[in-house]
Amino acid sequence: MEVLTNVLFGMLRMSAPLLLAGMAGVLSQQVNLLNIALEGLMLFGAFFAVVLGAYFASSWAGLLAAMIFALIFAWIFGFFIINLRANLIVAGLALNILAVGFTSYMLVIWFNARGVYSPGNIDKLPTITLPLLDQIPFIGDILSGHSFLVYVSWAAVLLTSILLYRTPLGVHMRAVGEHTEAAETAGIAVKIVQYAAILLGGIMCGLAGAQLAIGDLTLFSDNMTNGRGFIALAAVFFGRARPGMTAVGCLLFGLFEALQIRLQIGTGLPPQIPQMLPYITVIILLTLISVREKYQGRTA
Amino acid sequence: MAYLEMKGITKRFPGVIANNKISFSVEKGHIHALVGENGAGKSTLMRILYGLYKADEGEIIFDGQPAVINSPRDAIQLGIGMVHQEFQLVPSLTVAENIVLGYEPRRNIWVDRDQARQQVIDLSEKYGLLVDPDAVVREVPVGVQQRVEILKLLYRQAELLILDEPTAVLTPQEVQGLFEIIKRLTSQGHTIILITHKLIEVMNLCDHATVLRRGEKVGSVLVAESSEAEIARMMVGREIVRSYEKKHKAGLSPKLVCKNLSAVNDRWLPALRQINFTVNAGEIVGIAGVEGNGQSELVEVLAGLRECEGEITLNGEDLTGQNNRSRREIGVAIVPENRKTQGLNLLGPVTENLVVNRYYKPPFTIRGILSLRNMTQYARDLIKRFDIRAEGPNAVVGTLSGGNAQKIIIARELATQPDVLVAAHPTRGLDIAATQYVHQELLSIREENLGVLLISADLDELLAISDRILVLFEGQIVGEVDPKTVTFEQLGLLMAGHIKNVPQAVEE
Amino acid sequence: MLNKDELSNVGVGILQVCLTLLVALIMGAIVMELSGKDSLAAYQVLFESALGSKTAIANTLLAATPLIFSGLGAAIAFRAGVFNVGVEGAIYVGAFGAAWVGFTFLGLPGAVLIPLCFLMAAVVGGIWCYFPGLLKARLNVDEIVTTIMLNYVAILLTSYLVNYPFRLPGLANAMSAEVAPQALLARLAPPSQLSTGFIIALIAAIVIAFLFKRLRLGFELRTVGDNPMFARWSGMPAAGVIEKVMFISGLLGGLAGAVQVLGVNYRFVANFSPGYGFTGIAIALLARNSPLGTLLAALLFGILRSGSSTMEIFTNVPRDLITVLEATVILFVALEFSLSWLRRKQNGSAD
Repeated sequence: MEVLTNVLFGMLRMSAPLLLAGMAGVLSQQVNLLNIALEGLMLFGAFFAVVLGAYFASSWAGLLAAMIFALIFAWIFGFFIINLRANLIVAGLALNILAVGFTSYMLVIWFNARGVYSPGNIDKLPTITLPLLDQIPFIGDILSGHSFLVYVSWAAVLLTSILLYRTPLGVHMRAVGEHTEAAETAGIAVKIVQYAAILLGGIMCGLAGAQLAIGDLTLFSDNMTNGRGFIALAAVFFGRARPGMTAVGCLLFGLFEALQIRLQIGTGLPPQIPQMLPYITVIILLTLISVREKYQGRTA
Repeated sequence: MAYLEMKGITKRFPGVIANNKISFSVEKGHIHALVGENGAGKSTLMRILYGLYKADEGEIIFDGQPAVINSPRDAIQLGIGMVHQEFQLVPSLTVAENIVLGYEPRRNIWVDRDQARQQVIDLSEKYGLLVDPDAVVREVPVGVQQRVEILKLLYRQAELLILDEPTAVLTPQEVQGLFEIIKRLTSQGHTIILITHKLIEVMNLCDHATVLRRGEKVGSVLVAESSEAEIARMMVGREIVRSYEKKHKAGLSPKLVCKNLSAVNDRWLPALRQINFTVNAGEIVGIAGVEGNGQSELVEVLAGLRECEGEITLNGEDLTGQNNRSRREIGVAIVPENRKTQGLNLLGPVTENLVVNRYYKPPFTIRGILSLRNMTQYARDLIKRFDIRAEGPNAVVGTLSGGNAQKIIIARELATQPDVLVAAHPTRGLDIAATQYVHQELLSIREENLGVLLISADLDELLAISDRILVLFEGQIVGEVDPKTVTFEQLGLLMAGHIKNVPQAVEE
Repeated sequence: MLNKDELSNVGVGILQVCLTLLVALIMGAIVMELSGKDSLAAYQVLFESALGSKTAIANTLLAATPLIFSGLGAAIAFRAGVFNVGVEGAIYVGAFGAAWVGFTFLGLPGAVLIPLCFLMAAVVGGIWCYFPGLLKARLNVDEIVTTIMLNYVAILLTSYLVNYPFRLPGLANAMSAEVAPQALLARLAPPSQLSTGFIIALIAAIVIAFLFKRLRLGFELRTVGDNPMFARWSGMPAAGVIEKVMFISGLLGGLAGAVQVLGVNYRFVANFSPGYGFTGIAIALLARNSPLGTLLAALLFGILRSGSSTMEIFTNVPRDLITVLEATVILFVALEFSLSWLRRKQNGSAD
């Protein structure tokens, strides 16, 4: 029983950065801009959270820095792909590689640290104990006591959903993504809407990075995002860019991550096997989606 | 004073003048038809009015005031709305959401869904355009989608509505429904411009008609005082070049035979409905018809790139089920409709473009390796034979003129000495010299007792070189005519959907 | 052999590569100066240590070897219009395949064992990329996501294999048994580890260049990459082309892995690749997908990589600067695509 509690708690903890990056991906996808750069933006967020948090000796400063810098890089990315119409994929790849190179480079320059940097002077982000809820056995143990960004990530899913389906901006985003010409002839400013999606996504990626870096421990290590940006993207494909289903995908991947840590303690399956499952699942799912699209019209 | 006046509108694109000093005017409360064949310039003119294009010359005067329209938003603000031929609806949004798109009613920062629904219901009742505001657009039939498009305009308080080929996607019953809607709109004070090539609609529905041909205005008539024949004649023009001499009679032994050929288009709607025709040896069979009546799909079916039902045989050999390459081996050659995207690799050299249908066999491939020498020599031969003006076999095709690029396609297809050549709009975008050249080539194939299927929107061309002309309308062959004796009126009427007393009946 | 047109194309190609790299170097200089380092001194050390002595040059070629393979793998796919990001995965599975043959069939003589290792690597790597190619060709499944996913699967799978079934007992690091000594590739210039693998890479570049220009598949893949619709209308078997190209792409990655195993590490080590596959993408883009251009670009990147560690020691400029240069190169190429897109759009649309 305790195992189950631990695993589910771990699932919620591990999926927080995925949820945030996932919602960023959802917004990009909704305006029809495939955002390969989620990974890089998260890494920038993680880096600046640690660096500026250490400088100001405050995790809140770190959090703010993560959001601001991720926003800046997202703006640059947006400029390249929306205004200059650079190739989406190539530009995204460039940003990811830039993130890895720049953060590793700066880590050495500023802190003389290669590979890992753990400043001693900041605390991790505050954890929150949910009143009343934490008294309930089992459920309380799972839901309460997380880093505050974990709860923010749940709010992000809700807010993204509300944005997309209840606000004018959201409707415009969906229109731009699904039928750009229709949006244009309806008088919508397509570029501005796309920028909004990328910038909001940037902020969320920054938060995701902050969760990784100062949510539990307080450290930055080279390439610490480790593909989570792509996993989040996979969740977006899984959820067909809908916040709800994408969140399900993120939770699923978070579950695998938590399970895998758990299994390392116990015996049985080697960790790599469950770790592989999410990736394989994505491939299978994408294939099924394509098969359905190909044969869909036949029945019409 | 006219409600709308467009004066001296000129719009140029690279290589073509789409609108050449066009002036026309529309009265308030009228239903005004803008008629013409493809490429006549109707859509361009209306897109200028709606702010999607900017005219190079000319001015627009709307409701007595000079109008500056730089974007659709400007047009909407003036009260002008346009329903495009391809619907501009967002499939996953509801009817109501689509109608209010961009102008959503708001409550604080939220979209006020209830108000949107209510406004849609009110509009819907006022104009008799029945729609379910909560239905998702992608699940709604095409006729209803069109009503949604019209409601979109009315929601934005359009007074002048432009409808671009609205009946293209409708069933006959839906067409009737649309007519009633249009009449109701004008009775409520709106003005309608109807872009169409279907004369039935013009005669039954419209007050005025302006006819465009090749970017110029031919004339404006009051429908009540005119006739189908007159409008048809204005549409297709009078001058022709019947100046080619044909040296021998058309052959009679069948080469390409199509029986009960049916196919659907990309939207899963029927594009070809059980058509039958034959191309004999030594003859040029022309297919006339306004674009969008199944021609593209026919070429794709013959090329082996679109599935079909029915039978296609060449010299008795069954083609159905064969892919493009094996059809070419059997003896079909294709000059596709769109030379830039289907007929050529603009980034590649002349040599590769010439050899793309034969590179995999000797002498171009010897023991698995390409013989660049043989390919280049072959290219040089074809360049000389067909007088292709290029710097050399290695010149990049994208740098060549339209005429020379087309020569490459023709050279490539003819060099294999096919049994039948399917040529789709082969002279589109070419100047007179290049056009004449293509005609000569087609005639020379005919001399050699091979067959040609010529699909074209250019009636002069069809009349000049075809031995027989079949008219394609809405996926069916509605008539076969003899180019030597047919009149322009008859052709125009057939093409525009009328089956009248034509010399020869529909082929069985 | 090369006519006037082709020579001028080659000239333009070399110019493009050098110009882009120059921009990247300038960008790197800016980054260095902003972080308080002397960029000129740093570059001087970089180039000297990469090219300054015979051993240095050998080490540069050594660094370039896997990049040549991965660059070619990326180039052939990109040229055919397929964005294969999965060469990294092929490198891993190919490396393991070669290692497995190398430490399993200990009795075979070197002349048989080495080709067998390479063959295994090539086949396994080829299959690894063939699979997403098949999905793309027949079902139009997006190849970027599938290949990225397979990268992770490859890394995890091989990691599992050397941590469990094939783990070398008694060691803390995850690595396989050492490959049979007769399978090791001969060294070309000791004390550098430069091996005959480099020669194989050169041969691969020439073969791929030949393929592009003189084989049917080359003609087909170029046409499919330039205009897939035209390829279909001309009767080319476009789907089959994509599948074959992806196989070859993975095959090249597999060879890269084999060379690392047999020439450098002498065994399979988990997570051994510092992103050879991804650098290969930068290289292919830099070279605009030309095989010989890829060779040149790989050599240039080899210089950067091999000189960067010495640069770090002597001028305290972190070697990660090279990664920043890579990113700049890719970004520059991304912009260039957009410029030619813009030009084409202006010339295009009549109604």
